[in-house]
Amino acid sequence: MAAHHGTVPTGDGREADLARLLAACARGDKSALRALYDAEAPAMLGVATRLLRRRAVAEDAVHDAFVKIWNGAAGFDPARGNARSWIYAILRHRSLDMLRAQSREELTDTPIDEEEPLPSEDPEAVVARLSDRKALRHCLEQLAPGQRRAVVLAFVHGLTHPELAGRLDVPLGTAKSWVRRGVLSLRECLG
Amino acid sequence: MSDLDLRASHYLLGLLDPAEAADVEARLATDPELATAVATWRERLGELDTTAMPIQPSPALWDRVEASLAAGPPQPVPLRRPAASAPPRPANDRAPFWRRMTGLAVAACLLLAVGLGVQSWRFERTPTMVAVLLAGADRPVAVVNTFRDGRVELVPLEALQVPEGRALQVWTLWDRQVGPRSVAVLDRPQTARLRLDDLPLGQDQLFEITLEPAGGSPTGRPTGPVLGIGRTKGAL
Repeated sequence: MAAHHGTVPTGDGREADLARLLAACARGDKSALRALYDAEAPAMLGVATRLLRRRAVAEDAVHDAFVKIWNGAAGFDPARGNARSWIYAILRHRSLDMLRAQSREELTDTPIDEEEPLPSEDPEAVVARLSDRKALRHCLEQLAPGQRRAVVLAFVHGLTHPELAGRLDVPLGTAKSWVRRGVLSLRECLG
Repeated sequence: MSDLDLRASHYLLGLLDPAEAADVEARLATDPELATAVATWRERLGELDTTAMPIQPSPALWDRVEASLAAGPPQPVPLRRPAASAPPRPANDRAPFWRRMTGLAVAACLLLAVGLGVQSWRFERTPTMVAVLLAGADRPVAVVNTFRDGRVELVPLEALQVPEGRALQVWTLWDRQVGPRSVAVLDRPQTARLRLDDLPLGQDQLFEITLEPAGGSPTGRPTGPVLGIGRTKGAL
């Protein structure tokens, strides 16, 4: 159904393709949204599932993201940013909203969840999957281990400061300071 | 690092409290320096998203997306309750606490929190945080005070009825992965020290009281009705 858009290649071609598909969405071309979905939905569901830990809830986030992408495509300006970043910003924003709303209602009289939340990942394994040609991996590897884990867990799993403190088994103040110092060092390293 | 850049990085990491995050969002449209700082952090860290293992969506997902486009104006689906297969509850009947929380209740919380802060100060014991535990929308039943030296205490405000063979159990939740942890079992409403020991304690952390069998919940998780629930807020 989206054959005329072709497959979305990797690398710069992929970024150009995403920008082109967003422009087509802005013109009301539904097959462009479908092509975008075919190209990105699995990766997006992976990101949302890592944040929300439950597959069904993550599908809701991806659903909402595609509706927002469709309605907001006209607002995407390729001169001002990267199409991929724009798409993932929408997805992450919606996922984090849902995550925080979930934790607000968690302690109510809800019966214990039937879908067991997925386990969180080892932050060191996440870093190891980054391309070793990219500066981010090099810069994360330069951080003290606690700082690296705090920044990576906050980003990939959306952990809050108290959750980071629990997961890393340190006082709350230490978790906060690890994030701050990690962010500061990353900025110096990445420029 | 500038304060603005630090806020931008913490906003992108989802680590600002809700009021700070709302403030950043409100300013993004009008503050180019802040918008650039957030976009730069997004570019810096975005590559981490490429490390997520792709997951094939269920075949129905595209149909749902398409149906929502046909429906016209953007309508985000309502947040799925954690127990997705449970039958829907009737409106107004045991609806989630936060949805029932009215403006009036928020105002009551603030007044009470401020009032208690003043009272405690008079006794030279200034709580660092206060959580007002509410029953229903606007009935405060207890307060949790946290102190600088790490003490956490529960002060009942109402004589909660505890039937024979039952007990009040106090829980806290800071991480959904870990789940609620028991911090006290009481056979009657009374001022009590809560045992958080090594558990984390922070702003917006949930506390609740449930009615459980004498001696506490046999499962280690809340099983009985919630008698009061609230979140910690920093005292002024």
